[in-house]
Amino acid sequence: MNEAVRQFTDDELALARKGNPQALTALVLAHQRSVYSLALRMLGTRDLAEDLAQDVFMQLNRNLKSIESREHLAFWLRKVTTCRAIDQLRQRARLATTSLDEHTHLERDTHLFSDAGASDPLLQRHLKLLLEELSPPARAVVLLRYQEDLDPVDIARTLEMQINTVKSHLKRSLQIMRQKTLGACQSRGEDKSL
Amino acid sequence: MSQDLESQLRAALRPIAPSATLEKKLIACVTDDPLHAQPKANRIGWAGSRSRIRRLAIAAAACLLTAVGLHNGMQLRRERATGLEARRQVVEALRVTRQKLNLAYEIVKSQSGSYADDNPGA
Repeated sequence: MNEAVRQFTDDELALARKGNPQALTALVLAHQRSVYSLALRMLGTRDLAEDLAQDVFMQLNRNLKSIESREHLAFWLRKVTTCRAIDQLRQRARLATTSLDEHTHLERDTHLFSDAGASDPLLQRHLKLLLEELSPPARAVVLLRYQEDLDPVDIARTLEMQINTVKSHLKRSLQIMRQKTLGACQSRGEDKSL
Repeated sequence: MSQDLESQLRAALRPIAPSATLEKKLIACVTDDPLHAQPKANRIGWAGSRSRIRRLAIAAAACLLTAVGLHNGMQLRRERATGLEARRQVVEALRVTRQKLNLAYEIVKSQSGSYADDNPGA
């Protein structure tokens, strides 16, 4: 993400704010991975993530005049993407029926995690399932921490949370993941010994 | 383990590139004139039409309920009028029957009086 922000220069931002098509294209190319990945990992399905990414960039198009800097742009995109994803998940939880849940579960994308360079594919898959089990705010915190590499202060600003809440979400999420991962590793070991 | 898990998470959560089709759509989202952003307009239109459909459905349901209520009210009134008419007819029938019985009683009474006069020893 930080690489993407560096690629998009201040001059390009100024041009983008004036409606320059090349600068706007550069803006999308610089930030699309971050927005799409956040949306995909928050919502779990490719279709919903694509819709959300398009909505976010359309909203950006309408609010581009209010963007002051590259950092503000990255902050704005992360904030809008995560907040809208959390809203969608809450709405989905309210409206969910058994059949819809099953449908969504069946359609869950199998590429939520990048396997390139991953040291343990099984562990990666396990982490994916564990991430899906977290509550929407906790999932957003984990994604902003480990995907976007933000520190807890920036995460708190992005999600409009108390810093202690962010730290608590991180601590609890990692604890759950660690316990479940250990449990899974032990059961795998037992299976092998059997 | 903690560091290992965190590094695994970082490795697993590297950003994913969207498809070329989505990339084109996203570029179109920002390069289109915001006032003429067609997809959003469609969405607003769909959202608008959805709320319009909801309003129409509520209005139709209200009309249906009113019609059913009116129909029930009229039926009740009709049944009540029929009942009153039946009651009136029964009362009339009882009145006529009473008159006839009285008349019959008077005839029988007068006949039995004249019979006693004609046959004093009986």
